[in-house]
Amino acid sequence: MRNIVTFAREFFANVGRAWSQFWFQSSPTSPLEITRIGIGAALLVNYGAASAYLFDFWGEAGFVPRDLVWNDRTDSWVQSVFFYFSAPWQWIAFHVLFLVCCAALMLGWRTSWVKWLVLVGHISYAYRAPEVAYGVDKILSCVLLILCVGPVGRAISLDRVRAVRAAKLRNLAAAPPPYASHWAGACVRLMQIQMAVLFFYSAVGKLRGDDWWNGDAIWIVFTTGDHYNRLMLDLLASHYWLVNVATYGTILIEIAFPFLIWQRRTRPYFLAMAIALHLQFAVLMGLFYFSFVMMMGHMSFVRQEWLARLGEAWKRWIGDMEMIYDGRCGFCVRSMAWFLAFDGLRQIRIRDFRTAPSPLVSDAQLEMALYLVLPDGRALPGFEAYRYVVLRVPGLWWQVPFFYVPVLSRLVGHPIYNWVAANRSRLSSLRIGLATR
Amino acid sequence: MTSKHWRERLTYAAMSAFVAWHALATIIAPAPDASGAIKTLRMPFQPYLSFFKLDNQWDFFAPNVGNGSQLRYIVEDSHGNHHPFVPDRELSWYHPSFFWFRSWFNGIFDNPEYADAAGRFFCHKHAALHPLAVILLEAEQKDFVPEDQLVGKKPLDPEFVAVTTVKKVECATS
Repeated sequence: MRNIVTFAREFFANVGRAWSQFWFQSSPTSPLEITRIGIGAALLVNYGAASAYLFDFWGEAGFVPRDLVWNDRTDSWVQSVFFYFSAPWQWIAFHVLFLVCCAALMLGWRTSWVKWLVLVGHISYAYRAPEVAYGVDKILSCVLLILCVGPVGRAISLDRVRAVRAAKLRNLAAAPPPYASHWAGACVRLMQIQMAVLFFYSAVGKLRGDDWWNGDAIWIVFTTGDHYNRLMLDLLASHYWLVNVATYGTILIEIAFPFLIWQRRTRPYFLAMAIALHLQFAVLMGLFYFSFVMMMGHMSFVRQEWLARLGEAWKRWIGDMEMIYDGRCGFCVRSMAWFLAFDGLRQIRIRDFRTAPSPLVSDAQLEMALYLVLPDGRALPGFEAYRYVVLRVPGLWWQVPFFYVPVLSRLVGHPIYNWVAANRSRLSSLRIGLATR
Repeated sequence: MTSKHWRERLTYAAMSAFVAWHALATIIAPAPDASGAIKTLRMPFQPYLSFFKLDNQWDFFAPNVGNGSQLRYIVEDSHGNHHPFVPDRELSWYHPSFFWFRSWFNGIFDNPEYADAAGRFFCHKHAALHPLAVILLEAEQKDFVPEDQLVGKKPLDPEFVAVTTVKKVECATS
């Protein structure tokens, strides 16, 4: 009897350990963040383009009349905010709010609640005009729900920038550790399962059809009005074996993917194959939106160590950068806190010349401007320092257009920087933003 | 200390319950309804699947690709003249509206109730022709083989489509 109890206890303990290991490994949110950024951008572009057709497709008396959709519903759980709108301004206000939320989701601004509005909006559009929605809309609602329950916005986001900036305002050298949690690991796993299930059922469905068994499916795809591609048909007609290879290859990838994507050794190959498959769907079949969303879903299979290695390689390639600033100037410290908050890879080292004088740049020079010291001993002052950095720190790439307009950027940037540097004590007393501590 | 311990356990249990629930929903949603067991299993998940729009089959181009159809229409003017149009030709592959319109056209074939709205739209669009009616047509594609392509034919040439009338919609006269 005691043996049975011991066996049962050990069995359940092992099951519990396996369950925890499968679902709840502590993980950063980076794979989900890449998905968030991509999905936010895709939704913004897609629904931005929909603005011109808002009333045609989703309006009360548009192409898909509301009463027809309402009456055709088979399930009262099928809901859309558009079912309850009556005045045109409500459509416009909601659409604008939705687009703002898509942009915010992409940027990771107030992500914790913005993502829910995006989910509600997307489902509302899809259910209001079911005849207009297609495959990609279904995938999006699945992916968005996982992003909603997941702790996204903790990395590669403006929310992270705000958190790091707040820490750096207290202490410029502070480096808040990257977010990682067991729940993030579970949500990455849910996203992976979603993509694997999608591939599995997609393959199983195809195996029931003669077009796929006969090896002709890809030929038929390119002859249909949706995906007609004359150049492809010319090529395939003269080399029909390509049709067979593409047809069987598609099924083979879709069948193997759900089983072999989990193994450490095969994952890179299957991830590459899945992405290559969707690149072909985009380029050859015009399924740009669908393919991009699928590729973003596949980002959940990107291992954290791959991203870390990529980051390290980037840092090695760019080399060491040391920014020397005036620690007594409140405005400079606040600006540095903002600037460094975007340096997610921590490529920039900082030095306050008031407490740690630089061996390469004199204090007199540093009284005039901030300096950037490079590994080869070069020291770039003021505007040139910022200009050098924004191109080499991924988090600052959004500033590149301002710093790299030929002639104009330098023509305007230098005087602005010089004026700010000369007036920094006065600007410090203005206490723009949070006060220095 | 005890309350923290219990809070952690409860959180773990809640997280486990959710991932199990959602993973099962993800697997069950696309399963074919052929068996009674699947139907029964699906029942508790249905509100969740419907509300979050997770109820999908993932049957892209399956089981068969299908030959596809094209919407065409004829505007009948006040003099009895017929003006044929192919709305596809105005769409760009690179704009998201391509698939919205294509999906809508397919929706009209599947559900002719939508044809009235389409008719009204095309009447309005061609107001300059003083239309009396719009006749919506479905051009269903037939098999198109590589040999056809090699001799310079196209999948939507008349010999490869069967045209049927979906609906004739009278235009409102003002």
